[in-house]
Amino acid sequence: MGRTIVAIAAAAVALALAALPIVLALVSPGGLGGLAPPDQASPSGQAINELYWFVFGICAVVFVAVETALILFILRFRRRPTTPADAEGPQIHGNTRLEIIWTVVPSVILAVIAVVVLVRTPAVHATGGDRSDELVVRVEGHQFYWRYVYPDGQISLDTLVLPVDRPVKLELVSYDVNHSWWVHELTGKQDAIPGQVNELLLRPTVEGTYEGDCAEFCGVLHAVMPTTVEVVSREEYASRIEQLSGQDQAGDAQLALGRESWERTCAKCHGAAGEGDLGPPIARNGTLVDADALTALLNEGLDTPGVEGYMPPVGRGWPAFQVEALIEYVRSNEDLAPPEQDGGSG
Amino acid sequence: MAVRSEALAPSWREGRVTGWLTTVDHKRIGILYIVTSFFFFFAAGVMALLMRLQLAQAGNDIITRNDYNQLFTIHGTAMIFLFVVPILAGFGNYLVPLMIGARDMAFPRLNAMSYWLFLLGGLVILGSFLVDGGAASSGWTAYTPLSTEEFSPGTGQDLWILGLHLTSLSSLAGAINFLVTIHNMRTAGMTWMRIPLFVWAMEAFSVLLLLVLPTISAAVTLLLLDRQAGTSFFTGENGAVLWQHMFWFFGHPEVYIMVLPAMGILSEVIPVFSRKPIFGYKAVAFSTIGIAFASMLVWAHHMFTVGMPDALQAWFMITSFSVAVPTAIKIFNWLATLWRGHLWFRAPLLFCLGFIGLFTMGGLSGVMLAVFPVDYQTHDTYYVVAHFHYVLFGGSVFGIFAGIYFWFPKMTGRMYDERLGVAHFWLMFIGFNAAFLPQHMLGLMGMQRRIYTYDREGLFEWYNLVSSLGALLMGIAILVFIWNMTKSWRSGTRVGNDPWGADTLEWYATSPPAPHNFDRVPYVSSSRPLRDLRERLRERGA
Repeated sequence: MGRTIVAIAAAAVALALAALPIVLALVSPGGLGGLAPPDQASPSGQAINELYWFVFGICAVVFVAVETALILFILRFRRRPTTPADAEGPQIHGNTRLEIIWTVVPSVILAVIAVVVLVRTPAVHATGGDRSDELVVRVEGHQFYWRYVYPDGQISLDTLVLPVDRPVKLELVSYDVNHSWWVHELTGKQDAIPGQVNELLLRPTVEGTYEGDCAEFCGVLHAVMPTTVEVVSREEYASRIEQLSGQDQAGDAQLALGRESWERTCAKCHGAAGEGDLGPPIARNGTLVDADALTALLNEGLDTPGVEGYMPPVGRGWPAFQVEALIEYVRSNEDLAPPEQDGGSG
Repeated sequence: MAVRSEALAPSWREGRVTGWLTTVDHKRIGILYIVTSFFFFFAAGVMALLMRLQLAQAGNDIITRNDYNQLFTIHGTAMIFLFVVPILAGFGNYLVPLMIGARDMAFPRLNAMSYWLFLLGGLVILGSFLVDGGAASSGWTAYTPLSTEEFSPGTGQDLWILGLHLTSLSSLAGAINFLVTIHNMRTAGMTWMRIPLFVWAMEAFSVLLLLVLPTISAAVTLLLLDRQAGTSFFTGENGAVLWQHMFWFFGHPEVYIMVLPAMGILSEVIPVFSRKPIFGYKAVAFSTIGIAFASMLVWAHHMFTVGMPDALQAWFMITSFSVAVPTAIKIFNWLATLWRGHLWFRAPLLFCLGFIGLFTMGGLSGVMLAVFPVDYQTHDTYYVVAHFHYVLFGGSVFGIFAGIYFWFPKMTGRMYDERLGVAHFWLMFIGFNAAFLPQHMLGLMGMQRRIYTYDREGLFEWYNLVSSLGALLMGIAILVFIWNMTKSWRSGTRVGNDPWGADTLEWYATSPPAPHNFDRVPYVSSSRPLRDLRERLRERGA
């Protein structure tokens, strides 16, 4: 008999422990401790959240019903100390009507969920707003950074600037492996896959800074491939884009693109001053200022026999002016520029 | 008898070690499978603990990024190909011939070959840590182009392919063996509607393996050609998505390959410890087949974010829902079996009840993931990690432990230590929930899968710490289990043929059974031949 009490007590403790995170989640402020998906700054993200809560509500009811039945049966039908060892329960082999009911009821519930989801699917892909005003940005996933190309050819790395309340179409591509662009407070994720262009539609509705990640495992630095989306007013968007370097720009804008290319691409593996980290030291390496050799390296990568790991083709898809910008930046940086190269300024 | 067995096996095969190395006895092969796959389980569990150690705090620097990626790749690969599938095949090997009243499997030598191929495959996969560049590190899903030569140049990925080939070959041969055995070697009176539900599960397990293993074998062969012969099946246009289709056409049924036999174990254990027949034998048997069939239609629900047309996504959502119905039927039938029973809370039943409670959670989060717009947020996050651990650990592994405790007396002739068994259950149950419940929240908070580090603090870090502590508790539970098994195998109380008052034929044999299984097999006139026998004896005595 002591055993039974111990078992019941243990069951109660276990249930309490299992329920603890849920209770904690419910009372803790902000996003219900993670039990609720975060608020979304776009209509499509909100549509996803609404569907989440709808399906969650149904699943929660089913969960509580099944677990309650299970616990009640455990308590109610436990073998008592007085039960003879060879006692049997009633020899019931089934009940067709009951079994039909519990086949039909889940089917109906699931059908209802399916219908609601299908009805709401257009809302998940809808941006609202004036589609003729749509901003198209090309999003390239690379090992291990994001490259954004704006309509007039300006480039930014890892940080995407978007105007508030304007429909945006992101065209996701990759030149190496699969990536997945995910800024989880803006909307759902979409994969960037080599050989195809995926589209992600959204309309950011709240100004602010949103942090995102690569969600599809893409190699050794997958965990540290963040992106930031800055949603700003239309005026600020225009001036921010103005500052970004495109094809014809030189001087400060070119140097800025070069520095960004160094920091977001090379430095992640070779260290901020090219001192070496995951990759070997490359500071003052002649290839850094040799346009042909550098372009080949950026496009082909490098697998040196005997050296652990390999260099991915990190610059596939870069236009020549981005390579030039990188070279200009390297030349301008005392720590990086190789000594006494022709035209070297460091 | 002695004369005949001497003719069957030369004396040099009867040594303590050579007897096991040369055996073609399905019971010994079954035990070899179970013990070997448990070793792989232990190794893959240690890998999980190392990963949780790394993730216990923000910005930890204990495991290097290269090592971490190898760990989660081999953790997943080993748990699936070297633990869950082969240990279930081990149960099948041990039990199917006994349950249907047969002398052995249909092809005993093929059976032995299956085991040795599996062992070899396992050693290749684990051994790949030792090669230059380490083991494969592109995840157990080995998505292309990441797993191709250009982005994964090391030998590890090739050894991973070889290991998968070996274990697949082992499973294919095993599946054929099970099917031939079940179809042809049932004893007199053992009709299809009387075979134990575990045998139904092994039937579905084998059919699924036969249908989907060729796809993964083909996929990894093409990958090998891409890597070594310069072809471009997966590197050209659409190659990345082609791999995902081929992989998941195998990968999703694989989930049911791992769950259905565990469900079969529940359908054997719950009636015995409720002292009732299974509620709705036919419904449980047919839902097994229903799940197996539907499981082959759902694969692309792993691919909602690759850019499929909405209509296709909707189709795969609906087919995924269709798996939930036969699964729900099983849960309800088990609950109805418990209803008005005399529940005997021994370790096997505890693990079955744990299965029902946890698998329900995993099933429902599966419904949420099948809703493709919701999946846009939860895909490739810790929400998915939590979901499939509730299905495969809370489900399959709890079922496997139920089976180990239930049949331990049959396999060894001795009873395990009940107190340690109960302690194992509670440590595991609490540790499991602590480890995986917070991962749902982490996923919703934005923690993506397969990351070796994170920099967010506060609640995010706390949940990770709780998860790591839960994993530690599970590790302790496994040590309790190992202690119980080693101790009880040597010195547990001896038991008779049928310590549980069970219903099926394996309990008619001695514990452990003689090499030839049965001297005589009683005529089978229902799905519970042993209970019929007890009834007849009682009537005769009265």
